[in-house]
Amino acid sequence: MIKRMLAALAASAVMMSAVPVVYAEDMTFTVGFDAEFPPYGYKDDSGEYVGFDLDLAEEVCKRRGWELVKQPIDWNSKDLELETGAIDCIWNGFTIDGREDEYTWSVPYVDNSQVVVVKDSSGISSPADLAGKVVCVQADSSALEALTGDDATDENKALCASFAELSQVGDYNSAFLNLDSGAVDAVCLDVGVANYEVKSRKGYTVLPDPISSEKYGVGFLKGNTELRDKVQESLFEMLDDGTFMEIADKWELSSSVCLEKNAAVAASDTDDELPSDDDGPTADDLIYICRELLEGLVSSVGIFFLTLLFALPLGLLVAFGRMSQNVVLRNIVRLYISIFRGTPLMLQLLVVFFGPYYVFGISTSTSYRFMAVIIGFTLNYAAYFAEIYRSGIQSVNKGQYEAAQILGYTPQQRFIRIVFPQMVKNIIPSITNEVITLVKDTSLAFAISYAEMFTIAKQVAAAETTILPLFVAGLFYYIGNAVVAAVMAYIEKKMSYFR
Amino acid sequence: MSLLEVKNVKKSFDGNEVLKDISMTVEKGEVISILGPSGSGKTTFLRCMTMLETVDSGEIAYSGEKAVTTVDGKAVYASKADMRRIKTYFGLVFQSFELFPHFSVMGNITDAPIHVMKRPRDEVEKEARELLKKLGLSERADHYPYQLSGGQKQRVAIARALAMDPQMIFFDEPTSALDPELTAEILKVLRELAAEKMTMVIVTHEIAFARAVSDRVIFMDGGVIIEQGSPADVIDHPSNERTRAFLKKMSE
Repeated sequence: MIKRMLAALAASAVMMSAVPVVYAEDMTFTVGFDAEFPPYGYKDDSGEYVGFDLDLAEEVCKRRGWELVKQPIDWNSKDLELETGAIDCIWNGFTIDGREDEYTWSVPYVDNSQVVVVKDSSGISSPADLAGKVVCVQADSSALEALTGDDATDENKALCASFAELSQVGDYNSAFLNLDSGAVDAVCLDVGVANYEVKSRKGYTVLPDPISSEKYGVGFLKGNTELRDKVQESLFEMLDDGTFMEIADKWELSSSVCLEKNAAVAASDTDDELPSDDDGPTADDLIYICRELLEGLVSSVGIFFLTLLFALPLGLLVAFGRMSQNVVLRNIVRLYISIFRGTPLMLQLLVVFFGPYYVFGISTSTSYRFMAVIIGFTLNYAAYFAEIYRSGIQSVNKGQYEAAQILGYTPQQRFIRIVFPQMVKNIIPSITNEVITLVKDTSLAFAISYAEMFTIAKQVAAAETTILPLFVAGLFYYIGNAVVAAVMAYIEKKMSYFR
Repeated sequence: MSLLEVKNVKKSFDGNEVLKDISMTVEKGEVISILGPSGSGKTTFLRCMTMLETVDSGEIAYSGEKAVTTVDGKAVYASKADMRRIKTYFGLVFQSFELFPHFSVMGNITDAPIHVMKRPRDEVEKEARELLKKLGLSERADHYPYQLSGGQKQRVAIARALAMDPQMIFFDEPTSALDPELTAEILKVLRELAAEKMTMVIVTHEIAFARAVSDRVIFMDGGVIIEQGSPADVIDHPSNERTRAFLKKMSE
C-alpha cells in the first residue's frame, strides 16, 4: 500500500517542493468510489468503470507513474475501507461540506449543489410543494446531510419535516427505480448527477431551486497530507496545461468545476489528530448503537414472524400441488419451486418490489415496500417448506395409509389425524435449519431499502465511522438464532413422546 | 347368505397374471386359512378382498352386497357411499401391524370408532378397556406402540380391528413378524375369537398354525386354488401333487 511507501519518504525534505516533480514510483494508487454514481464514477455499457473522477485519477497516475486501481466500494463502508488501507482515497463526487474534520481534503474541484428531481407530470415545481410527499435520498449522501445533518439549515430541517417520509436507498439507480414506480415522489441528489440522470432518462425535471450548494474534493485518510499534496500538485499541473478542463468538458461538467490554485483547503486539514470520538467506542456510543439497532430489530422480527405465518401454511398447499394427480398443476408448481429455489432471494425481492410497475405499469405506494418484503420472503420460503413437507409426507409408511383406509378414515381425516402428526415429527430438523436461515435472511430486505436491523447497522456504521454496529447486529442475529434453536429443541422434545 | 362371496376374480400386474379366476365363499363363524408358497398370489388375493387392490374382473359381495361386479369383462366398483358401508363389514390385521405411532394404545383402538363411526367417546373407551382386558393388555392402555413387544403390538392391532365391530377379520401372515414362541400366544387369541364365533380368514404359510386354528384350509399356488377342505384332508391327506410338494418342503 502507498501509505507504507509514504512513511519511508516522510523524512524527505523534498516533499513540499513547489516545483512540479514527476515521481517514477513503482506503486499503486487505489481510488475508492461508488460504482453507481455517474458521471463521476460508474460502470458503463461495456462494463468498464469510467467517469470524470476516474479520468482525473487516471491522469494523475499517468503523471506520477503510479498504477491506478479502481476500487468500487459500498458507500456505507467507505470509512472502513479508508481506515483499513484498502483504498488510498475517496474520489467520487465526494462532498466536503459537513465532513471537513473527518478527512484530509484536496482543494475543492467541483461546486455541486443538492437539487430535487421529480417526474414531469408530478405538479411539483418548488421544494415547498414537497410537503406531504415521499422523498428519497441516497444513504449517507450529501442530500441526506443537507436535509437532516448537524449542519443542515433550519429551512431544510423544516422542509424535511414537511415530507410524508424521507426514505433512504443504497444507490441512485434504486432511487430512480423508486421514483419511476411511484414508490417515492421526489429524489434529492447532487446537481451533476441530477443533470446526467435527467438527460439519460425521460420524463424528469430538476427543480430550479437547489436545497443547498456544496463543493467536492478528494478525501484522504485523516492526516495523510503527503499523498494529498502529491495528488493536488498533479491536479494543478493539469489545470495549468488545460487537461483538467478537457476532461471536465468530456463529462459536461465544465460549468461546475471550481479548481483553483491557492484556494483554501478544507478547514482543519492541518490538524493531524484524529477526532476524539475515534479513540474507541464509549458506553454512550454503544447505547446509541443498540437503541438504533433495536428499532431495526423490531422490523426484522416482524419479517421473521410474518414470513413464517404465511409461508408455513402456503408451503403445505404448494406441497399438495406438487404431489397432485393433475399433471398441469403439478408441473406449474414444480416450476414455481425450481424458480424460487434456483434464484437469489435478493433478486426475488427486487422483482416483487419493482415488477408491478415495470411489468404491469402499476404505480406502487410507499407502504408496498414492506408488503413486497413479506411477499418475496413468503414465496421463497414456501417453496423450501413445500419440499420439506413433501419429503415428510412421503416418509410416512404406505402401511399407515392402508391401515387408515381399512379403518374407514376419509382422505381428509387420514391426512389430518394420521399423516400430519407423523410428518411434523419427521421434518422438524429440516424446518429448524430453514428457520435459522430465515433469521439471517431477514437482512436481505436491505435490497429494497427496507429499514430492518442490518440496513440500519450499515447506516449507523457509516455515520459513526465504526464497524461496531455490524458486530452488535451480528450478536443480535446470534442471540435470535439461539432462541430459535431453543424453541425448536423444545418442540422436538415435545414430539418425542412417540417414535 | 354367505358372509363373503368371491367369484372368478382375476388380477394382473404389468401383464403378469397373479390371480387366475379365483372363487371362494366364507360362511358366518368359519375360520379359514389360506396356505401357499410365496408368490402363490395369496397376499394379493387378501388385498383384493379388502379393497386395498382393485381386481381386473370378477365379483366380490359381502352379505349379499356387491362391492365389485363385472360388466363386459371389466370390474365395476360400487358407489363411494356403498363402498364405505361395505368396508365396515370386515377388518384387517396387518403383517407389520401398522399401529399409529403417535397414538397411545387407547388412542389406536378408539380413534376410528370416535372419528369415523362418530360414536361417543365414553362408550368407545369403556368398550376398549374391556377389549384390552380380554387381550391381557389392561396395563398398557397409555403406552405408545414403540414401548410394546411384537406380541403386544399384534394384540393391540387385533383390538383395533375388533373395536370397529366387523363381521369378519382378515389376518395377513399373523405369525411371521413374531418370535416362534409367540405363535402359541396368538393361537390362543384366535381360538378365543373363534369360540365367540368371529369369522376369520388367515393368510399364512405356517402349516402347523393353519391346522391348529382353522375349520377349512385353502391351498393356493400359481394364482389358483389347488385344493380346499378340512385341515385333516388338505394337510394330512393331500390329493394334489403340488400340495404334497409344498407340505413336504415346509416340513423339511
